[in-house]
Amino acid sequence: MMIIFRAPSDLWETVRRDLERPHPFAAERVGFLVCRAAKLAGEGLAILATAFDSVADEDYLDDPSVGAMMGPTAIRKALQRAYNNGAEDLSIFHVHMHEHRGLPGFSPIDVRENKKFVPDFFNVAPVMPHGAIVLSRNQAAGLCWYAQHAVPVPIDRFASVGAPLRMWGRKA
Amino acid sequence: MTDPRLTSQSFLGPESDAIFANTEVGVVGLGGGGSHIIQQLAHLGVGRFVVVDHDVVEDKNLNRLVGGTAKDVKDNLPKTAIAERVITGINPAADVMPCQSRWQEAIETVRRCDVIFGCVDSYRERDELERFARRFLIPYIDIGMDVHQAADGFSISGQAVLSSPGGPCLWCLGILNHDRLKQEAIRYGKAGSRPQVVWSNGVLASLAVGLFVQLICPWHGTPQLTACCEFDGNHHRVETNRLDCVYDLRCRHFMPDELGDPFFAREPLDETASR
Repeated sequence: MMIIFRAPSDLWETVRRDLERPHPFAAERVGFLVCRAAKLAGEGLAILATAFDSVADEDYLDDPSVGAMMGPTAIRKALQRAYNNGAEDLSIFHVHMHEHRGLPGFSPIDVRENKKFVPDFFNVAPVMPHGAIVLSRNQAAGLCWYAQHAVPVPIDRFASVGAPLRMWGRKA
Repeated sequence: MTDPRLTSQSFLGPESDAIFANTEVGVVGLGGGGSHIIQQLAHLGVGRFVVVDHDVVEDKNLNRLVGGTAKDVKDNLPKTAIAERVITGINPAADVMPCQSRWQEAIETVRRCDVIFGCVDSYRERDELERFARRFLIPYIDIGMDVHQAADGFSISGQAVLSSPGGPCLWCLGILNHDRLKQEAIRYGKAGSRPQVVWSNGVLASLAVGLFVQLICPWHGTPQLTACCEFDGNHHRVETNRLDCVYDLRCRHFMPDELGDPFFAREPLDETASR
């Protein structure tokens, strides 16, 4: 089973530029990639990012124990996006960035928080995969949920589609 | 750079061996053009292939099908088997997924490719393959050649096009247009054997592979997202100025959010899927 996450290179750039911006009080920024999906042979998935939704400054909670804590409004807006006004459901991937080069990894706090909010997306878009991604300055890692109560599966491969075409990840 | 076979291409970058080895390439159509392409990709060190062709090799293919032999014709060998033999003969470590079917019957496999080469015969099929590649955010490299009757003999022409998501498409470039599709539909069933020759297929395949390499291992500072190389086989020239005619190099035919499987939501995912 292979999970591939592709996005246009200019969308990756938009995400990185947004996440690098300083926040008035949070130590880091977060956002959401809005995606479509397709099945691959052998239960695999291709996740295809179409847009990035930044989290507004005022939608963060002031919680110095973590890098960034989203408030309920940020989550509600993301759920609304997944619901897509009742039209075709969308896939949502939470994204944040660690300030280093090389393969990033989720911190224990990331893992704990992802488990809390990612399954909620299945309440509004139950047939789409959802998940979380952590970026470094030049690579990415991620987890994908196939279903609300499923164990998340690592994303194998990321692609930045542009010139040059870049691939990263466990099988890249 | 660890593979001694690839030291001569070390200018492609210290990570180029690994990039080629980990890139999965789909080649649709393994005739005169596709057979050249898979051979060159294997020489480069590309490590993963999805090779697609429903056909078996025939006598009439041997004027141009690289790797095909008279024995293969006698044995009624699928073109996918010849491609696999050529690739693994050059690079035994390559992982080859042969699909002896029409590409439309192997879409869940072709979707996972990082780049797709289209070496198909018809404009309709080019159109379908480019639409497919755009929908799954996959750069598409198309080659095509033709021989036309001219006043003083014949005219050989063709093109190698790199069509990337977001950039101009085959419609923007005028390679595809309604008149061509209409004329092709009118001729449907009457075509017989289309003229194809090994040397011009080789030129176009080499241009296509060059476009692929500059995309994943650029050896200069300005890799191209879109390229259109038009081959004039009578004057042995390649022109690249068709892009000049595309206003602001943005595609008006494919919308950036028209991605993924439109029927995805109709079949729930397997909740037990895990590794």
